[in-house]
Amino acid sequence: MNSSADLAQIPTRARINAVEMVGRLGLGYLGQVLSSAEILTALMGHYIRQGTDRFVLSPSHYVTAMYAVGIELGLLDREAVTAYGADGSDLETIGSERTPLADFTCGSLAQGLSVGIGYALANRLATNGARSVVFGSDGEMEEGQTWEAAMFAAHHQLTDLTLVIDCNDSQVDGPVSSVTTIEPVVDKWRAFGWHAIEVDGHDLDALIAALETQAAAPKVLVARTTATANLDTLEGLDDAHFIKIDTDLEGSLADELTGRL
Amino acid sequence: MLHPAPYETVLKPYGTALVELAMRRDDIVCLGADLTRQTETDLFRDRIPERFFNAGMAEANLMGMAAGLARSGLIPFVNTFGVFATRRPYDQVAMSIAYPDLPVRIVGFMPGLSSPGGPSHQAIDDVSLMRSLPNMTVIDIADAGEVSAVVELIVDLKGPVYLRLKRGEIPVIFDDSYSLNLNQVAVLKPEGELVIVASGMMLAPAARAVEVAAENGVDVALVYVPVIKPLDTLGIQEALAGRLGAITAENHSVIGGLGSAVAETLAEAGAGVPLRRVGVQDVYATAGSRPYLFREFGLSSQRLVEVVWELAGRRETVPVLAEVSEERPGVHEPV
Repeated sequence: MNSSADLAQIPTRARINAVEMVGRLGLGYLGQVLSSAEILTALMGHYIRQGTDRFVLSPSHYVTAMYAVGIELGLLDREAVTAYGADGSDLETIGSERTPLADFTCGSLAQGLSVGIGYALANRLATNGARSVVFGSDGEMEEGQTWEAAMFAAHHQLTDLTLVIDCNDSQVDGPVSSVTTIEPVVDKWRAFGWHAIEVDGHDLDALIAALETQAAAPKVLVARTTATANLDTLEGLDDAHFIKIDTDLEGSLADELTGRL
Repeated sequence: MLHPAPYETVLKPYGTALVELAMRRDDIVCLGADLTRQTETDLFRDRIPERFFNAGMAEANLMGMAAGLARSGLIPFVNTFGVFATRRPYDQVAMSIAYPDLPVRIVGFMPGLSSPGGPSHQAIDDVSLMRSLPNMTVIDIADAGEVSAVVELIVDLKGPVYLRLKRGEIPVIFDDSYSLNLNQVAVLKPEGELVIVASGMMLAPAARAVEVAAENGVDVALVYVPVIKPLDTLGIQEALAGRLGAITAENHSVIGGLGSAVAETLAEAGAGVPLRRVGVQDVYATAGSRPYLFREFGLSSQRLVEVVWELAGRRETVPVLAEVSEERPGVHEPV
């Protein structure tokens, strides 16, 4: 289990990896990496015990972030940067059954929490002390399955189940808040019987502290993030869900991110 | 091989067999969605409560949980009505279960027009939906002995299974000389100028139609198809080759189920056997008793005999079968 000091530079390095990966293809799911790099660093580098715990990546569009962080944690070879999105490669741009590092990926959104509950039930039957960890996204709260799963998990008091939601206010048609009102998110989860913690999703220390919180109910981190990671280069960007990136933009992003190291 | 009609019935053979198997195998878990008694899994719940999970009316979550349990090395039997097991969580079954090829056994009760509840409860498209999913095995059986045997036969099958079952009282159609084989169609009567190919609950009406046809001078062969996918295409080709015509009989829409599967097989083999598909003719049914619905929507022995007469080119009057008007406890009569 790495400390937050060991992990401090990983989110920025992961973003630099992702700029190169998406830049190579000219377009892709970069906003998801920019918003979730700290969350996935805290999960994959600290909270999830490799080989013991189960990890479900519910929005598989975030797989780029998982690869980019995985490279920095030594879980994936650096060649992943060039293999990403290449024809015939296992490192597809939307996670699939071929995807390394996750136990389950769901390209069709909002299916992951239910699978995570299945893992939690199996862990409980086996009394193996394993955690079931689900990464989710704010847009998935528009799907009814999220709330079916939320009700079930609380009713069965699945205390070894943790959900982390990247609330980056971004979906295909624009800001989530412009499409529909999902707020108040924290109150919703509390009303469904979950232990909800609101946290700055770009603050690694705060994320790790929230993950370590003991609770008598399933736990959800409502991680507030931005899909631009507050980069000046992307100020005013109107579509963070699927970013077109030319050589100039790739260079500016890489420069600005490198300056943060 | 076939008992004469009317058939004796056995109560809850599926629920009983599942408990027996789960008592021996602690990797079996049982899931449902607020239809516990109706899916015969009250027996499981009462005997092995720690491995019984009720999702409530939440089928999308139900299927996802089954996927997580299966990925953890367990074998989930997921029980609900066929309509709710297929239409409602289709994406979840496709993406969380079929695509990862997980050993989830989905049991859909009240197939076709066996439900008196009307279109919302009548699974007339479940075979079609499940058959089009890669990795999925699709089984449609109707005999009590088969239902008892099938649980053990599918438990260790690779990948997901969709099993459609009538609930409650199940007829004993086969005698002891028959045993369910998931890899082969069963040729129950080889000789005949025509052939009826039946699955699931249409076996009984098909057997009656074959009998009535014989009494009236038309020899009809009978083939039973318990597994719609993967279909024993060689068995179908061999059983149908050289016949004057073939009639499929299914308690399901004629689109996408047995009739379609046989049509595809015949066409690809270039067999050139004229085909008629008896089943629900691309319509939604209504509420009503099983005898009424099977008669009104063309799933009766009478309907099969009419199609036999048409295909055989018989010009004389079609035999008229005695009507089966009501259901009696402990007895199953083909309509």
